[in-house]
Amino acid sequence: MNDTFFSIVNSGLLYIMVGIVIAFVVFLSLVFAKKAWKRAIELGYTKDQLVTVIKSTSIATIVPSLAIVIGLFALAPVLGNPWPWLRLSVLGSVTYELMAADMAASSMGVPLTDLPTVGIDAFVNIMFVMTVGISAGLFVLLFFGEKIQKGIGSMGKNKQSFGIVALECFMIGLLATFLPAFFTKGIVSVLTFFTSTVITISMGLIVLKYKISWLKDFILAFALIGGMASSVLWTGLLG
Amino acid sequence: MKSREKFSKEMNNLGRLGVLAMIILLFAVPTIFGLYHNAFPTFGEFIKAASGLLVLFVPIAISEVFIYTPIFGSATYITFITGNIMNLKVPIAQNAQELMNTTKGTEESDVITTLAISVSAIVTITLIALGVLLLVPLEPIMTSSAVSTASAYVLPALFGALVVGLLRSTGEIRVKGKVKAGIVPFILLFLVNIFVMNTYDYSGILLIPMIPLTVFFAWILFKKKQITIEIIEREVSK
Repeated sequence: MNDTFFSIVNSGLLYIMVGIVIAFVVFLSLVFAKKAWKRAIELGYTKDQLVTVIKSTSIATIVPSLAIVIGLFALAPVLGNPWPWLRLSVLGSVTYELMAADMAASSMGVPLTDLPTVGIDAFVNIMFVMTVGISAGLFVLLFFGEKIQKGIGSMGKNKQSFGIVALECFMIGLLATFLPAFFTKGIVSVLTFFTSTVITISMGLIVLKYKISWLKDFILAFALIGGMASSVLWTGLLG
Repeated sequence: MKSREKFSKEMNNLGRLGVLAMIILLFAVPTIFGLYHNAFPTFGEFIKAASGLLVLFVPIAISEVFIYTPIFGSATYITFITGNIMNLKVPIAQNAQELMNTTKGTEESDVITTLAISVSAIVTITLIALGVLLLVPLEPIMTSSAVSTASAYVLPALFGALVVGLLRSTGEIRVKGKVKAGIVPFILLFLVNIFVMNTYDYSGILLIPMIPLTVFFAWILFKKKQITIEIIEREVSK
């Protein structure tokens, strides 16, 4: 059963369909990027400034993306290559996909790791469950996206109103939700967090003191790499 | 030069068209695959497998649109289509807004965020494609204990890097005292984490009450003039 299962879930048909969806998302991203670039130039930004944004974004994206690629290595042994490739490239998140596949398999009374022995019907069912679970947000955007956007736009219009405060406080709310969990999850989590903070502050001070403005573009990337690398050290020492 | 409204309308139309196409394409994959292999699940089989997941994730997926739109503005559509919001797109948006010193809710912020999110999505998709191509040779490295450990701590590392920037405002507006709005929600959840359970795995669903709670405290503090708005009279980074 295993060989047949993997020959079907790694079939050319699935690769082609997944390839088409991913190619569409790349095309859409390019269209959004082009429109944003054009509008930014109209608003007075220079090409150099926009290249700085692209450069800093690209470098800062690499490290968290590697964590997503690791999700591929967790899912591929049970779901084949093309389906995890699609699920990790669009919508959702690496944590959602891992949890969703596991929950869907458990609900069918099958441990996820045994899926290849059960058959293709269960695999197709998991494909549907993972897709439906993550699509709800898209339907909200489709029907109410413009209204929500307009509401947010009007919040930022009056610069002395509470709307401005509310916009700023969304990020504070995110911090208030995530930080207590990090701080009580274990010493490695706390130390990783503070290592990353110390790197960010130190590099910020270096940029200010020595006027090395190009370094500013790499602060997030360095703090991420340093923070994640330190987690290996902290785990070795204390974990 | 076209107006902000025209640009916003254009982004909304493009975004909604992209979302509609995405929904069709996403559902086409399992539908065609299931029909081709004559392995279509019955409605009962689907509900049995989906019920637990849908109860948990549908409210999160819906509320995420309301939670993240203020952060992403016009980039919300491409952000949701490409996913990995908390673990990638939030820091990327914040980083770009800080680099260009933009004010949240402005068109400048929307445009810069859209550029950054689109570029970030292309980089991630490229890296995952490389991962698929190099699945066999990369496996020993990607499944090593050091890489697994480091990837398990990506969120604390991201938030550690972001906390400095998040606590101050960018652009021409300073919201002074905004951190105070998060104190009570932070303490409440801290107590839950100490005395009840660690909420790390439930952070997505906890955002649903925590964001409105933070905004509610911000409103009280704003009325009491504990949170104030200051407009900086200087040229933004442009």
